[in-house]
Amino acid sequence: MPAPAGDSASAPPLLEVRNLSVSFPMSRGLFGPKRVLQAVRGISFTVGRGRTLGLVGESGSGKTTAAMAAIRLVTPSDGQVLLEGRDLMALDERAMRAERRHLAVIFQDPYSSLNPRNRVGAIVREPLDLMGIGSPGERESRVRELFRLVGLRPDQMALFPHQFSGGQRQRIAIARALATNPALIVCDEPVSALDVAIQAQILNLLRRLQDDLGLSYLFISHDLGVVQHVCHEVAVMYLGQVVEQADRRRLFTAPAHPYTRALLESAPALDRRKSAGYRRKAAVEGDPPSPLAIPAGCAFAGRCPQAQARCRTEEPEQTVRDGHLVRCHFPLG
Amino acid sequence: MSPLLDVRDLRVEFATRHGTVTALDGVSLRLEPGETLGVVGESGCGKSITALAIMGLIPMPPGRIAGGSIRLDGEELIGAPERRLRQLRGRDIGMIFQEPMTSLNPVFRVGDQIAEAILLHQDVSRDEARTRALELLRTVGVPDPGQRIDAYPHELSGGLRQRVMIAIAISCQPRLLIADEPTTALDVTVQAQIFDLIRDIQDRLGVAVILITHDMGAIAEMADRVAVMYAGRVVEEGPADAILDSPAHPYTRGLIGCIPAIDPALAALDRLPPLAEIPGVVPPLHLLGQGCAFADRCIEAVDICRKVAPPLTGRGHAVACHLHAAAAASEES
Ligand SMILES: Nc1ncnc2c1ncn2[C@@H]1O[C@H](COP(=O)(O)OP(=O)(O)OP(=O)(O)O)[C@@H](O)[C@H]1O
Ligand SMILES: Nc1ncnc2c1ncn2[C@@H]1O[C@H](COP(=O)(O)OP(=O)(O)O)[C@@H](O)[C@H]1O
Ligand code: SF4
Ligand code: SF4
Ligand SMILES: [Mg+2]
Ligand SMILES: [Mg+2]
Repeated sequence: MPAPAGDSASAPPLLEVRNLSVSFPMSRGLFGPKRVLQAVRGISFTVGRGRTLGLVGESGSGKTTAAMAAIRLVTPSDGQVLLEGRDLMALDERAMRAERRHLAVIFQDPYSSLNPRNRVGAIVREPLDLMGIGSPGERESRVRELFRLVGLRPDQMALFPHQFSGGQRQRIAIARALATNPALIVCDEPVSALDVAIQAQILNLLRRLQDDLGLSYLFISHDLGVVQHVCHEVAVMYLGQVVEQADRRRLFTAPAHPYTRALLESAPALDRRKSAGYRRKAAVEGDPPSPLAIPAGCAFAGRCPQAQARCRTEEPEQTVRDGHLVRCHFPLG
Repeated sequence: MSPLLDVRDLRVEFATRHGTVTALDGVSLRLEPGETLGVVGESGCGKSITALAIMGLIPMPPGRIAGGSIRLDGEELIGAPERRLRQLRGRDIGMIFQEPMTSLNPVFRVGDQIAEAILLHQDVSRDEARTRALELLRTVGVPDPGQRIDAYPHELSGGLRQRVMIAIAISCQPRLLIADEPTTALDVTVQAQIFDLIRDIQDRLGVAVILITHDMGAIAEMADRVAVMYAGRVVEEGPADAILDSPAHPYTRGLIGCIPAIDPALAALDRLPPLAEIPGVVPPLHLLGQGCAFADRCIEAVDICRKVAPPLTGRGHAVACHLHAAAAASEES
């Protein structure tokens, strides 16, 4: 029962995440000291109905963990998640199962996310079976409808995953995600494994489905070009924190965090030509610090071209101006 | 000037359960010393097979070089004894692959692997090889090389592993470096670092590079010339600027058109237009018919396209397309 887009101003946003943290305990040998990996460190965001929030950041920055915690597929160590105002963390297992039909996930790898031994029709139908939605006949016709919706032919329902190309498998994964008519779909790098030509087909499909069904997406990607094309708002993650968050226009035209700017400068572009003497200088050096040993001060200080002494000792607080969130002592522009 | 690498009419076949398929169907490439040739195309178009053929690494069987010639500095490599090919690989031709984890040996320290590569081709002592390995790690920008030299591959990040691969590839000062999707698995920030490094090495050692990628942005900033491959053939070839600014083959135009480019003008729009699409997928090799392999996906296809495969014609900027040939002919007359 996804609420129609264009809800009234008083209605709560579809998804609201407050101060979410996730840590993983790490054992270091039998007698080593107990260590904790802080994958997500107190992040907050909202996803509106019919909207797409992008999560970007380097590998290991906590995008997947944050998104999975937001739909309770990973247990947060702290924080609150509200789905249409309902506190998901307060629900017992049974009540949470009932909420599952409003939530779905599409993963990066269309090869490993589909069970190779099942026919694709059964794969798409599975969420309906698991949640006991509809009669067998209704489920069958729903699967047919889903196949058409994602651009597959219903006569392909009896085939196995290996008989499909990567792009078609991602269509199958999308059909499956849509089965229970969810309100929110977490898309975790849904096009990263695909060639650009197929990527364009899938991105257009996701946008069309959003328009037609009023879906909301939490969209994880490390490709800023992709993010620009599908996201309304963007949150940039670094070492488990959101360091900048803004609507698409502001993030791409007036980035305020040095890390966001580095990401934009690092992105390849057709008009940056070798023939014109263009030489992409690495905008940041080295790798991010380990989430097992979070540095004091700003987590980006070791790589930040703007870093000053204060950055290494004092952790920047987040500031929000006109809905543009930045976590930096010396924001740009 | 005679080319460093001259590949002519290369044909590679594979025995499969669908019978014999032609993976490369008359591929020709030329590379001058110090030049960078970008090779682009969707997965399965024959980019990696071209690289493997140049290195003499096509698995035989099921593979077979069915025709053509590969000359490195005038020396014919097809049919050359395995001993000679092994000598050339690693000494005259360096290689970097997409996933460094699979090409590095997980059970040996990275310093030893670099030293081993040096000892294989050069008459130096073990100590000297280790000293060189340390220098190389510094050259490729590995921080703390004195420590990292004794690390195992899994102890390094993806970017550092790729740097180690590059250290091995340039350890014997090759004349040709073949990089097969060297940054596909890496974050953009690290991608920028690796491209910066490759340009740097090229400036210092004058090495020629074949950069295989599906990223047109990478082509723009790295390549002097570009070969676009489709279904085992080169369908367009020419200077990078000509290919990017006035692509003549419908496939090249499609590939460029479907990129979700970062563009502040677009980011400022309330609603972005959908991406351009190339319909359909690359056909499997065993289903390739008589005519142009792209005909099923080409919106401009005409009758002759399904009957006759268009030859690659034109000097400087060459194109394999009937429509283009007709347009060029009418321009000349
Ligand atoms: N189950 C787990 N146990 C221990 N550590 C974990 C677990 N899951 C994730 N991590 C760690 O948490 C951090 C954040 O991981 P996460 O997968 O969320 O990153 P990401 O931003 O999605 O990265 P990528 O772009 O590589 O997918 C990483 O350091 C990761 O190694
Ligand atoms: N060992 C093999 N047996 C049969 N076909 C192969 C083999 N290796 C590659 N091919 C086929 O050759 C074609 C080109 O492959 P490849 O060069 O790896 O493509 P890419 O452009 O993605 O690098 C593909 O259709 C692939 O399926
Ligand atoms: S707080 Fe300092 S180190 Fe951190 S991003 Fe801002 S300027 Fe850079
Ligand atoms: S030859 Fe015909 S089908 Fe092939 S690319 Fe040209 S117009 Fe299209
Ligand atoms: Mg992830
Ligand atoms: Mg390949």
